[in-house]
Amino acid sequence: MGSDLVEVSINTIKMLAIFLMMIQAVPMLVWVERRGSAFIQRRFGPNRVGPLGLFQLLADAVKFIFKENFVPKNAVKFLYLAAPVLALIPAALTFTAIPLSTPVEVASFELFGQSWGPYVFQFRGFEMNIGIIYILGVGSLGVYGLLIAGWASGNKYSLLGAIRASAQMISYELALGLSIVGILMIYGTFDLVELIGSQTGHLQFSFSGKEYHVGFLPNWGIFFQPLGALLFLVSAFAESNRLPFDLPEAEAELVAGFHTEYGGFKMLVFFMGEYGHMMVASALFAIFYLGGYHIPFVSVDSVKEFFLSTEMFGTSTLASLMTALVFHLSLLFKVIFLLWVFVWVRWTLPRFKYDRLMSLGWKTMLPWALVNTIVTALFIYYSKVSG
Amino acid sequence: MSLIDITFYILALTTFFAGVAVIAIPNPVYSALCLAITMIGVAGLFFTLEAYFIAGVQLIVYAGAVVIMFVMVLMLFDLKHEKKAFSKGLFSMILKIGSSAVVLASIFSAIYLTISAKPRLEEVNTDAIVAAKGLALQLFTKNVFAFEVIGILLLVVLVGAIALAKGKGGTHA
Repeated sequence: MGSDLVEVSINTIKMLAIFLMMIQAVPMLVWVERRGSAFIQRRFGPNRVGPLGLFQLLADAVKFIFKENFVPKNAVKFLYLAAPVLALIPAALTFTAIPLSTPVEVASFELFGQSWGPYVFQFRGFEMNIGIIYILGVGSLGVYGLLIAGWASGNKYSLLGAIRASAQMISYELALGLSIVGILMIYGTFDLVELIGSQTGHLQFSFSGKEYHVGFLPNWGIFFQPLGALLFLVSAFAESNRLPFDLPEAEAELVAGFHTEYGGFKMLVFFMGEYGHMMVASALFAIFYLGGYHIPFVSVDSVKEFFLSTEMFGTSTLASLMTALVFHLSLLFKVIFLLWVFVWVRWTLPRFKYDRLMSLGWKTMLPWALVNTIVTALFIYYSKVSG
Repeated sequence: MSLIDITFYILALTTFFAGVAVIAIPNPVYSALCLAITMIGVAGLFFTLEAYFIAGVQLIVYAGAVVIMFVMVLMLFDLKHEKKAFSKGLFSMILKIGSSAVVLASIFSAIYLTISAKPRLEEVNTDAIVAAKGLALQLFTKNVFAFEVIGILLLVVLVGAIALAKGKGGTHA
């Protein structure tokens, strides 16, 4: 957490801010989802409350909070109430491990007659050198919330939804894990910051002793691992239970699946978990395949020098802070685009049949992910032997 | 007592009591949930030891696999029937209880041997535990034979499980 009072307090505030950032994004995503679906289906969507219908979010939140706190007769009360929280915790915990921007370097300063610093604050909840293993591990716990919700509701539709959720998430977790093995082998690290760091500049690689440069493309992972990127995106859809893979809640078959018996704020917490998973998946896709928080052809140093040369942000601390904000905006831009892809696909593609979903996961995604891994490994071996 | 000690005691107590609850609670659903808590607690203990890689793998492999058990419990088990099937027939009952006793004895002897063993701290290669690279080097160079044998063993278990599930044995089919 830190060595002295300033560091500890700033790190605590930072953690809270990152958690609230995730929670605050949910109502906006709900708005995007509703307006976006209306846009795709040539409807208006919620447009009456406030400008562009934006205050609909507030009205919804108030409605959710003031609904009756209801527990069904057949439910197991403790687990029924615990399930939404269990669905939210993994999403929130994984989000804190994602590096959101360049570190902020604070030069030493005087406060309360004492000199503090210098400090370096990472722009993420906490640092960990095996970021991706942690995210996969904690993310795999998300299924417990759904499973417990379905079982504790005491409703057969809920239980069917929960069993579907567990089978689906476990099947696609394999493809998700394997699809990123290729990119991890190429960059040779589990550390997300190092992964992002090796995707700067223009596209360049060395193969059989020769260096290749492609000046007009950024050095992003998607150009090395197009198949891996596609597999990762599809499994991310399945992992966050979004259409076309939203079988756990298939409303045409199962009423509302695992959250049939949930209403009011409890259902909203499930929503937060789902959108949290979407945000984590989008951020991971941006980090693995789209250069993370880096802006193509713009280096961190050049942005920092620009801010140092301005009058307003001339000090090194302020320049570092502004640089971090600029690169954070870059990551946000990529994440927001990917979140829009989530909404876009949801309202474009129809739902899969359950057996098709399983055969896609086991017979298509998994073999292709294995092929991707082996071919990547062979390429790396060949270029090492010949180079 | 430092913060890391307090974390250790909280995690250790949680793991211990959840582990006891796995076998003490009669309801198999709660039992499976307690097993999940035990696994997460062990992963937390690895985290406090800064063995992040092993902690992550513990979460992915073990805590993830308990979900399957949970579903098995929900879909396939009939506990009353299971108890009856377990104690049916004198000869097979003796055989089953005897094999349980063998498993129990081996677990207790393992615990006894670990307690009586002296720690040899100077020989521990921390790099092989903490960093993924060191662990991989140990696994794929020095201990590659054991690693491959365990792989084959798991394959055998997998094939056996499928063969058992396809035939009609116990209450599982």
